[in-house]
Amino acid sequence: MLIHEDVCVGCGRCQPYCPEGAIGYLGLKSVVDQVACVECGTCLRVHVCPVDALYEHPLVFEYPRALRKFFSDPAATHKATGISGRGTEESKTNDVTGRVGPDEVGIAIEVGRPTLGMNLHDVQKISRALAKAGITEIEECNPIHSMYANPETGDLKPELLDERVLSAIIEMSVPFEKAALVLRTAKEVAKELDSVFTLDIFSTLGPNLTIQQRILDLLEAEGLPWRPNAKINMGLGRAGE
Amino acid sequence: MTHSLHREGNLEKLERDFCVFIYPARGFNNKGSGPKVSKLFEIFYGNDASNCSSTSLRENLYSKVTPEEMLEAIRKDADSARAYATFNSREKVKNLLIQMKKADLGVSIMVSGMIDKVREITAEAGLDPHTINLSLGVHGRTDLLPPPDIRQFTTMCGHAVVSPHLVRQAIRKVKTGRRSLWDASVELAKPCACGIFNPHRSAEQLRDLAPIYTVSRW
Repeated sequence: MLIHEDVCVGCGRCQPYCPEGAIGYLGLKSVVDQVACVECGTCLRVHVCPVDALYEHPLVFEYPRALRKFFSDPAATHKATGISGRGTEESKTNDVTGRVGPDEVGIAIEVGRPTLGMNLHDVQKISRALAKAGITEIEECNPIHSMYANPETGDLKPELLDERVLSAIIEMSVPFEKAALVLRTAKEVAKELDSVFTLDIFSTLGPNLTIQQRILDLLEAEGLPWRPNAKINMGLGRAGE
Repeated sequence: MTHSLHREGNLEKLERDFCVFIYPARGFNNKGSGPKVSKLFEIFYGNDASNCSSTSLRENLYSKVTPEEMLEAIRKDADSARAYATFNSREKVKNLLIQMKKADLGVSIMVSGMIDKVREITAEAGLDPHTINLSLGVHGRTDLLPPPDIRQFTTMCGHAVVSPHLVRQAIRKVKTGRRSLWDASVELAKPCACGIFNPHRSAEQLRDLAPIYTVSRW
């Protein structure tokens, strides 16, 4: 995002809307720190500027800066998935797609969430740790997959690493037996990050919203307490409708 | 996109905070799903959603778009419309699930909320949920995060576009009498394009926080 210096009246109304705190004063005018800006478009979308001084960066849809837009603006549709947002449909349509069956789990590592944002170097730290542990089942439909330079090592394309985004999700579906390794690797690499990630796991349910006991046992064994609120697929979907 | 999974806050308020998602499956049943999503969206609206939005407009209930404009955009968006809403009572969610089950449109529906509450609701609505997504918390540099009393607002937008600075500003405006609890909550809801920021919960939280905050800037 950029601000027309000659139009800005320096009211500062746009500043608190920036999730990254990238808008501040330079003299009497508001300016956007181009390193910190993640191109989420929030300041523009809320129509808070009284003189329309905000405008999008001319390179906002040019590679690699476009990564900022696709991973930060919830209204932007990513080319790799065709859907808006930063991940895929994962558990939301599992009643239709059967993407994760009864003997599998889906795991997502949501880097930069909540609130902080992150530099893509952090994603590479995690992708390298996963690859080193022999975990290569990264979801192909997730935009992260197309950012890999070498899936064997977990290296991302080097030109992307300096880009800053609000969040990106490393998603995978693995056999239940492999879940402990993924969770343990994620916990271990967390110590090396400059930002944060949220971790989540999804699986099919038993009757009457009964969580599989082996999932609960796994989480207890790995020292990962689950929050009391969850996201639950109601089982109302059907394929071919 | 698990953007409603990691909502933080006190349990008493989370028990009255639900998100519902209408989600056709890409490549399976999304072709021509616009009219079905539109019908399900009407059920949202008929059950007094606290907030709502669709991917067809990406404008929430407080963005000066009418429900009619939202519905029209969904109907025109034949293959890719999805819709989201947030509710502030279990009864509303139970009623809408009963209506969605009766409508039997074959579109995936997700509910985010307290597991025990959703279990009660689905049992009463005669539903047998299929899949659960569990949050396993935040890891890494948690020392850099804003404090929990700010995160209970910011995590209502899972895409993290409700800024901690804006939350602090809202608290200050309420405390100094420049905004009502509701108007400040509507301002906070505006950046959340998905319409899952719950202004009812926000107003309750602002009421709790305003007396204990000091006013410095903005």
